[in-house]
Amino acid sequence: MKKLVALLLTAMMLLGVVGMSAETAVHPVGGEIIYGSSTEISGDWSHGAIWTNNATDNMIRGLMNDYDTIVFNDGGALVVNDSTAESVTWEDNEDGTKTFTVKIAEDLVFNDGTPITAQHYLASLLLFNHPTLITLGSKSTGYLTYVGGDAYKTGEATAFSGARLIDEYTYSLTVVEEKLPYFYDLSYASLSPLSINMWLGSTYSVADDGEGAYIVGDMAVGTLAFKIAEARFLSEGRVTAGPYNLVSYDKGAKQAVLEINPLYKGKFDGQKPSVQKIIVVKAEDATQFDALKTGEINLISALTGGDDVNAALDIVAGGGFDTVTFERAGYGKLMFQCDFGPTQFLNVRHAIAHLLDRPEFANTFTGGYGGVVHGPYGLAMWMYQDGEEELSERLNTYPYSLEDAVKLLEEDGWVLGEDGQPWVSGLRYKEVTEEEAGEYKHNITVGDKVLMPLIIEWSSSEGNTVSELLVTMLAENPDVASAGFEIRQNIMTFAELLNYMYRDKSVGEQYGVPTYGMYNLASNFNPIYDQSYSWTLDPELVEQGYNVNFLFDEQLDKLSMDMVYGVNADDPDTYLKIWIDYIVRWNELLPEVPLYSNIYYTIFFDKLHGYAQNPYWGFENAIVYSWIE
Amino acid sequence: MSGLWPVQALTSYHLTRRCFRQERSVTQVKKYIALRFVYIIFVFLIISLLMFMLYNQIPTDPARMELEPVRRELKPAEYQELYLRLREQLGLDDPLLMRYGRWMGILPEKNGSWNGLLQGNFGYSNFYKKPVIDVIPEPMFNTVFINIFATIMALGITIPLGIRTAVKKNTRFDGTVQVISVVGYSVPVFIISLVFIYFFAVIFRIFPVMGMKTPGTNYTGLRFVVDRLYYLALPLIVLTFASLGGMTRYVRAAMIESLSMDYVRTARAKGLREKTVIYSHAWRNALLPVITVVIGWFIGIFSGSVIIENTFSLNGMGKLYIDGLNNLDYELVLAMQMFYTIISLVGILITDLSYGLVDPRVRVNK
Repeated sequence: MKKLVALLLTAMMLLGVVGMSAETAVHPVGGEIIYGSSTEISGDWSHGAIWTNNATDNMIRGLMNDYDTIVFNDGGALVVNDSTAESVTWEDNEDGTKTFTVKIAEDLVFNDGTPITAQHYLASLLLFNHPTLITLGSKSTGYLTYVGGDAYKTGEATAFSGARLIDEYTYSLTVVEEKLPYFYDLSYASLSPLSINMWLGSTYSVADDGEGAYIVGDMAVGTLAFKIAEARFLSEGRVTAGPYNLVSYDKGAKQAVLEINPLYKGKFDGQKPSVQKIIVVKAEDATQFDALKTGEINLISALTGGDDVNAALDIVAGGGFDTVTFERAGYGKLMFQCDFGPTQFLNVRHAIAHLLDRPEFANTFTGGYGGVVHGPYGLAMWMYQDGEEELSERLNTYPYSLEDAVKLLEEDGWVLGEDGQPWVSGLRYKEVTEEEAGEYKHNITVGDKVLMPLIIEWSSSEGNTVSELLVTMLAENPDVASAGFEIRQNIMTFAELLNYMYRDKSVGEQYGVPTYGMYNLASNFNPIYDQSYSWTLDPELVEQGYNVNFLFDEQLDKLSMDMVYGVNADDPDTYLKIWIDYIVRWNELLPEVPLYSNIYYTIFFDKLHGYAQNPYWGFENAIVYSWIE
Repeated sequence: MSGLWPVQALTSYHLTRRCFRQERSVTQVKKYIALRFVYIIFVFLIISLLMFMLYNQIPTDPARMELEPVRRELKPAEYQELYLRLREQLGLDDPLLMRYGRWMGILPEKNGSWNGLLQGNFGYSNFYKKPVIDVIPEPMFNTVFINIFATIMALGITIPLGIRTAVKKNTRFDGTVQVISVVGYSVPVFIISLVFIYFFAVIFRIFPVMGMKTPGTNYTGLRFVVDRLYYLALPLIVLTFASLGGMTRYVRAAMIESLSMDYVRTARAKGLREKTVIYSHAWRNALLPVITVVIGWFIGIFSGSVIIENTFSLNGMGKLYIDGLNNLDYELVLAMQMFYTIISLVGILITDLSYGLVDPRVRVNK
């Protein structure tokens, strides 16, 4: 019976694939879409965020470059790109390193018709990690991942020993021992082809004499500085390999025009684009909906907040437009520093969570287009979806309750008044040890006792609407005062907030002193969910700015490290188990209080069909599966 | 004694004396201008030092700020490596005065070369990751393009209007213009923009809502100019409308004062035509206070309007400046401020010199 069901399912899947192919085939190529971007295009088209990391640039780069050998699918999972990689194999070496061997397809070409070989794939690693490019400002850190990278980057070795050119269509990469095992290690096998001719010139090439791959040609800074700068910003005639070609970029008007690359082989599943032309323009918050109505832009991506979403929905109700919605892979939060002052005490952190009506906060802030999470995850994550049942049983939701908050405080010893007598009303105090007292500036001494008041110094960035709502719903909440708290808001620039958060003495001695116990910020998660080192106990790493919560919990640290460095890539069940344990432990320790997780809306004209976006599948991917009627 | 007639001799004496005076006057003006240039250089250096120090006193770490968005994607070793590299590239570990000296070009770079502001290097945009000189041209061109038209349109309307309201003082026409100009002067330009967009772009669809060109086109020549003007028409109308109130009232006030002078009464008593009285006698004398503002406007063609540029999505200097501040792109902002410092100082000199041209009573002291 099982076999029969399996057979039927297989048959249905095949039919589905055939159906999908047939569906793809019937969409005629044509039409154009004007993408209204919230950030300005900078015009730096270099592969990845080598120099700049602007969201719209990244989106356009994604439209132009899509021949990586390993890519993310629409669920945020790493998959081999079957269009570009014929095979990806790996071998664990005796010295603890791991070698990935990738054979690329032989029919790949750049948009100018030039054949793509393994040389072009290796060129991206060799060029951006070359000492010359490092001098010219390349931010690539690929050299840290592969054997021989350090020597190559410093110029000690001319060849990159961990990167090998096996034959015309095969390359291999050997990963250093320190980065293994790694749950996402397949990402180490990924490279993206780069036109050697465009970036360096026709006389350059990649070779391997048995010691590792290297670039053949003059790599002096003086020779390359101008050429590299030119290649970064080259718009017309740019040689790339992706679903779209950059046709033009107007620096004055900040508009980019892209058209279908007829030589594109397809995405990892063979999908080719149907929308002929994409125009990217800058849209302003104040006028973007007017521009949408008049047809000056056709799509605005990832709208959030009640005002914008309601405006978008009004336009949809008027006809001619559609929307897609998706949940944010991230959240706004209250972050605690847990090594000094009242926030070092677990019960205080729990009490604060109980004194904030988070569902109401999320509802008010997002205008009803968002929700609450109870740990460091997004609702769209496969881990959350697979582990939702278990999480709902094990996670504390910290419901709004003055009684619970008071009980927690009393259990923790916050039972004294300013005079050292039992607390009746006003600010609560707790008798603390010398170690607990630390240098907290509000401590007082009564007799031989050191008393710590329940004053929370809160750092919030200026012009922040979340902060404004927190003032109303938390700092000035009468229940907070009646519980014995005082929450003091300190408004500063975001840069200064970061100085305090990282305790960065390099920009001022005052920042090195623990000052604020609470910050409001936001976090987003990548498809590679890697929280390693976030809870490190290593003082050196803490000094460098890791573990900004200053929460030193061995279990949490171990779970965050084991989740990615203790699990093989082919063992998602173990990964999921550790992930759930990590979320539960985090939820117990509560180093942060999640405030809201938005629901995003993308609005577009109704001539566009088949458009499906999610946090891991942005416009650059979704548009390839869409068509215009 | 020469062989000339006494009258001729006298005339020659006066001419020689006038020439001598003129020569002396020209020499004095040249000397005055030279002194003012020395003053400009001095003030420029002081301002540059103050601005540089001010920006570098802001308690922020540009290297950390730059890496913040990618922090979670980096391992500790990667982060630390990048962080240290960035600090070195940005020269953050050097003493402040040394950094100023290098930036200004009065101290050599680490490699021994001289490559500062004085050598024509306007700095490196940390946000755009390219030299500042490559970032500024397009926004500057757009800003100048917009402002030239806006200034000409505004002056073309406000000067005749101001004169007419002064001449027709306390009439219904004057009252109407006063009310409209007060409204135009008082309502924030942001509101004017949105109202104009709503009516002219959304309801009547006469002009586009935003942008600088028809999306997807690459026009050249006349088509480029026409297309650009079509896209800039609405922001130009808003800019002109917003500046009408102030200038009209300024011209009106100057003209009213001028028209009340005795020489105007004398001119009328002589039986001169009213137009001659107004334009040759009154207006020329009313120019002195107006010219300061007019020259200020022309100097202002290099400065962008933050609100207009942001509302209409125009790539101009105002937007670049605000973005530079928000992105902590201090070398870009400093370069722009130094440029505006020079423009302002030269502008003040031109204004001072123009007083002498407009009003014979104003001359360089002997």
